[in-house]
Amino acid sequence: MKLLLIEDDERTAQFILLGLKEHGHVVDHAANGEDGLFLAASEKYDAVIADRMLPGLDGLSIVKMLRSTGNHVPTLFLTTMGGIDDRVEGLEAGADDYLVKPFAFAELLARLGALTRRPPVNDVKTALRVGELEIDLLKRVVTRAGKVVELQPQEFKLLEYLMRSEGRVVTRTMLLEHVWDFHFDPQTSVVETHISRLRAKIDKGFDTEMLKTMRGVGYSLRA
Amino acid sequence: MLSKRLLKTTSFQLTVFFSLIFVFCFMSLLVVTYLTTTTALRSQMQTEIQSQLNVMAVEAKSDGIETIIQDIQERTTPSDRQAEYYYLSDSKGKKLAGNLDGIIMQEEWQESGLSDSVLAKPDGDADDDHQIWGQGVYLSDGSFLLVGQDAFRILSAQESIINSFVWSAGIAILLAAFSGLVVSRGFLRRIDDINNTSLAIIDGRLKERIPVRGTSDEVDRLSANLNRLFDSNQSLLESLKQVSANIAHDLRTPLSRLRQGLEEARSKTGDSKARASAIDSAIIESDQLLATFAALLRIAQIESGSRRAGFKTVSLTSIFERVAGAYRAVAEDQDKELTITLADNLDFHGDGELLLQMIANLVENAIRHTPTGTHINLALKKSDQGIAATVADSGPGIPPDLRDKVFEHFYRLDTGRATAGNGLGLSLVAAIANLHGIRVSLSNNNPGLLVELHFPGS
Repeated sequence: MKLLLIEDDERTAQFILLGLKEHGHVVDHAANGEDGLFLAASEKYDAVIADRMLPGLDGLSIVKMLRSTGNHVPTLFLTTMGGIDDRVEGLEAGADDYLVKPFAFAELLARLGALTRRPPVNDVKTALRVGELEIDLLKRVVTRAGKVVELQPQEFKLLEYLMRSEGRVVTRTMLLEHVWDFHFDPQTSVVETHISRLRAKIDKGFDTEMLKTMRGVGYSLRA
Repeated sequence: MLSKRLLKTTSFQLTVFFSLIFVFCFMSLLVVTYLTTTTALRSQMQTEIQSQLNVMAVEAKSDGIETIIQDIQERTTPSDRQAEYYYLSDSKGKKLAGNLDGIIMQEEWQESGLSDSVLAKPDGDADDDHQIWGQGVYLSDGSFLLVGQDAFRILSAQESIINSFVWSAGIAILLAAFSGLVVSRGFLRRIDDINNTSLAIIDGRLKERIPVRGTSDEVDRLSANLNRLFDSNQSLLESLKQVSANIAHDLRTPLSRLRQGLEEARSKTGDSKARASAIDSAIIESDQLLATFAALLRIAQIESGSRRAGFKTVSLTSIFERVAGAYRAVAEDQDKELTITLADNLDFHGDGELLLQMIANLVENAIRHTPTGTHINLALKKSDQGIAATVADSGPGIPPDLRDKVFEHFYRLDTGRATAGNGLGLSLVAAIANLHGIRVSLSNNNPGLLVELHFPGS
């Protein structure tokens, strides 16, 4: 993927650049807001990672300007401003995702993956399919290899999100945000409990395990 | 120094101002009284003298001048003090009768120049209290007759008017100045009390308070309110100190574990697997530290009240349902039961995200700090004052004397820190409840803990 990183802190920028390059991405770096806006507007990127507080032009303004010119490049805010209002403000400005520093690098990668493969907005599917696993969103029926799997509502939502993210790693935080709409860190194993219940229902009795745990990173559903 | 400040006080300046107005009014009254009294008495005296002159003039004309001479002599028979004075001279200016000498022969009213000698005291000094006022007339045969009276009544009236005014004005001014000083001094002393207390508090003596007299006047009320301000400041500062101390204390353990982990990782150069796991646990430790900071920041942000601007009408019923949905399975996995008794369609004006976290925190507490087999119930219903919610468990509960403490930052019942947690969960609950005006109370569920939430009605 071709990515743009707008980050003024040298050390953070080097850490991210190095990590992204190791994972095979091509990354441009802008150390201030003006350069960042110029690059984002003139080059074609798969995603933009922007700090919110930047010298010159702040991240919020960059995203607003890009959006106002019809540029819908997927954008992720990477910021120390982790306040409750800051996230809402960032998303309202037109950013697609919001990640608070400090963060685990795997989290950044997982979110970038989700961002760049986000389906078109008007793509309304009524059924999803991953390998032999099928989900009918209208009838709310799940089958694996033709056999009906009974799921609780929370498990259904969880599976739907995992299937939409087929093959990609989703982190615990991403699940909390998208399945439960929890924007805080629970002290109990909400995600783990539901994952293990879901796994027991869709994988038990089958040869291949579709729902995989990526240690220290998250989960992934693949055929 | 004190007197100089005293003179500068508002109350003293007001007293001076009103005293001056008072004195001015007094002076005006004095002038008016003096003039009207004098005029009235003088015209009365003039009328008397005029009528006497008339009578004597008629007598002289009809009975001859001799009658008048005799008449005057009778009237001026020496006695203690004469009240009436006469002078009669013939047409050539020779004195015929009377007890006055050396007068000016004119027909006008005279208030001075009439012989003072007659009135002189035995020792020869002029007597200021006595003057002879009178009027003369030329009779038809050319002789001159003057009748005078002692103006003692008028003079003494004038004098007593002036005296009484001077005395009472003097006393009034003295009283005003004195009371002004006393009031100002009292006021200044109370202001000084306020100043001194403020300075003491600035100096760090936080326990100082302004003395309150209990008179509930405006200074008393001001002092009482300032004392309340100092009280809340003191408790805020103390809780801040407590929090700082707790932060320092609570972060030491994870930080030292983090350091240990890193040291361990460095020493295990040969064993890459052990090294990786040491690094992993160091990362977990640092994540926990960061989570603690994030929780502290979140509490601070909630306490600042800025979230209030984004309040919307949210469905409490669906928030409770979402929490129950997320945690039912978690409870079951630990052999606990989470049930709900929720009334439909209960709405509340607030921050949905925070309310969700508040209920989630309470439910998590009920799951984490109870033994297996515990039953947890989430209830929501309409009440007289608004909406009442309960989170009830059948666990060990909290001893009554510790029920207030659990809301403090970093306070943990489990002092051994056996269960993970940062001791901020209930602080966050308290902060969110405060922001929304929700009253939280803890009581005994017989057995277990009953958390009651009273959502205010709109």
